Amino acid sequence: MYRSQQLALKYLAAAVALFGVMTVAGLMSAYHYVNPDFLFGVLHFNIAKILHIDTLIIWLLMGFMGAIYWFLPEEFGRELVGIQAAEILFYVFCGAVGVVAIVFIVVQYGGGDETALWFINQGRKYVEAPRWAAIGVVVVMAVFAYNVLGTAYVTRKVTGITAVLMVDLVPLLVLYLDAFPAISNMSADLFWWWWLVHLWVEATWEVLIGCIMAWTLMQLLGTSRRIVELWLYIEVALVLGTGILGLGHHYFWIGTPNYWLTIGGLFSALEPLPLLGMVIHAVYDAGTHHMKTTNRPAFYWMMAEAFGNFLGGGVWGFMITLPQVNLYAHGTQWTVSHGHFAFWGAYACGVLSVVYLVIQKVRGLAHLEGTLWKWSFAALNVGLIGMVGALLVSGFAQAFVERAIGGSTHDAFVAGQENRWFVEGIVTRFIFGLMFAAGYVALVWDLLTIGRRAPVLATAGAAE
Amino acid sequence: MSDIGLLQTALLLGLYVALAGAYGIVYAIARLQDASILHRTSLILYGLHGLTAIVIVAWAPLQVGWKVLIVASSGAFLAIPPITWRFLQQTHETEVQG
Repeated sequence: MYRSQQLALKYLAAAVALFGVMTVAGLMSAYHYVNPDFLFGVLHFNIAKILHIDTLIIWLLMGFMGAIYWFLPEEFGRELVGIQAAEILFYVFCGAVGVVAIVFIVVQYGGGDETALWFINQGRKYVEAPRWAAIGVVVVMAVFAYNVLGTAYVTRKVTGITAVLMVDLVPLLVLYLDAFPAISNMSADLFWWWWLVHLWVEATWEVLIGCIMAWTLMQLLGTSRRIVELWLYIEVALVLGTGILGLGHHYFWIGTPNYWLTIGGLFSALEPLPLLGMVIHAVYDAGTHHMKTTNRPAFYWMMAEAFGNFLGGGVWGFMITLPQVNLYAHGTQWTVSHGHFAFWGAYACGVLSVVYLVIQKVRGLAHLEGTLWKWSFAALNVGLIGMVGALLVSGFAQAFVERAIGGSTHDAFVAGQENRWFVEGIVTRFIFGLMFAAGYVALVWDLLTIGRRAPVLATAGAAE
Repeated sequence: MSDIGLLQTALLLGLYVALAGAYGIVYAIARLQDASILHRTSLILYGLHGLTAIVIVAWAPLQVGWKVLIVASSGAFLAIPPITWRFLQQTHETEVQG
């Protein structure tokens, strides 16, 4: 095994661990809605929510990096350039995440000054990590880019997938620099902040997961490189074609010119189209292989990704993307529902697919099969669907009572929060959150034990 | 937009895309299994999608431009599954022959 693949195992393990932190912080945030007195004066909702969202970003990022560190040496046929720096930075990265989490939990917030910005909290949603840690993320990503670009340069070997990956690393790194400005004009600040959040999540990350899924398809189903690369180009072009200007749906109500209503509405309304193509592709792959594979957990998680992406991003997104509906729906539990479903479908399922694929390789198993993964798969997906369904009901109540009837006054806000449908949705979300957490526990136990007693082949085939 | 109109429009929009997805999935399974009943089911699902589009165009309090987009998207949703399928078959067949 290459050193970069050993590093990949560490990144994937850290990702799964942070997935757990995200789940716990999410449960705490959910319970704060049920019982606002929960941990009052100790750890408020805002901190639990920061932990929930930031660990979401970090665990997925670590999952992507782990997947890429796993596949790249096989792609280049050699160890990655600068692997020692990457190994050191992994521990620095984990240490920084730990320190930032402790600061969030213990110190929580500071004054509106430079000291707080550098050492406590940057105060910008999704990228709350203090500036020193944000600089650390830039260094980690720069070394990651160096690993990829440097190895391609040394080997003089660029495949279609690595070419797409290398091009994607540029915006991935550059857009993160957008985490730093502290602009006092809120409209201007949000305008650029969305470049980071939207274009990372709905552009550069889509390309990253596209590359990762291309490698996964090759190893899991034995699909030829020519086919996966062709489809990677098409799907990346379609996703970027709709996703980049889909940025406009975040510009509806932040003080930007009216033309963003048309641009944002139009391009985000087109976003379900390529997602449908991906679903057709998934059904084709599943059907031509008769649902048979040497690694069913990885295969099922890959299928869940295609369907979850379409449902969460396509169906849930389309409900709220046209400006006339979005006027009432934005910033409610409705958008929270969409966000949960889309992140889960587009990214989390893909990372979990890679984790199972890597486990099969590491344990040298001809077949990866078991019972527990089915329970964790079911509990996580049913829990997630239950959560987004419940949040959807709460969001309907909020948009209806608070916005459409009440006109967004303070009294209307209170009426919305006290509405029976809203409250029941929030309670139901917590219950399904518990199911999701149980699914996570089963997942971890399964990852630790699956295939331990199965017959081991020295050269396990990738696909039947 | 009225309060009830908001919920009805949003649900119709969600249903519109969900039915397009259901049509696509059943179309793909029908092609895999070459089952005529599934072919008919996929057409029924697309018919329901089209019906939802008509309801949105005729009734929903959306501006005209968005209604035009809904109609155009319905055309795209109809075409995507067969085009994707044909392209998938071609690329895989070329691979086998190669």
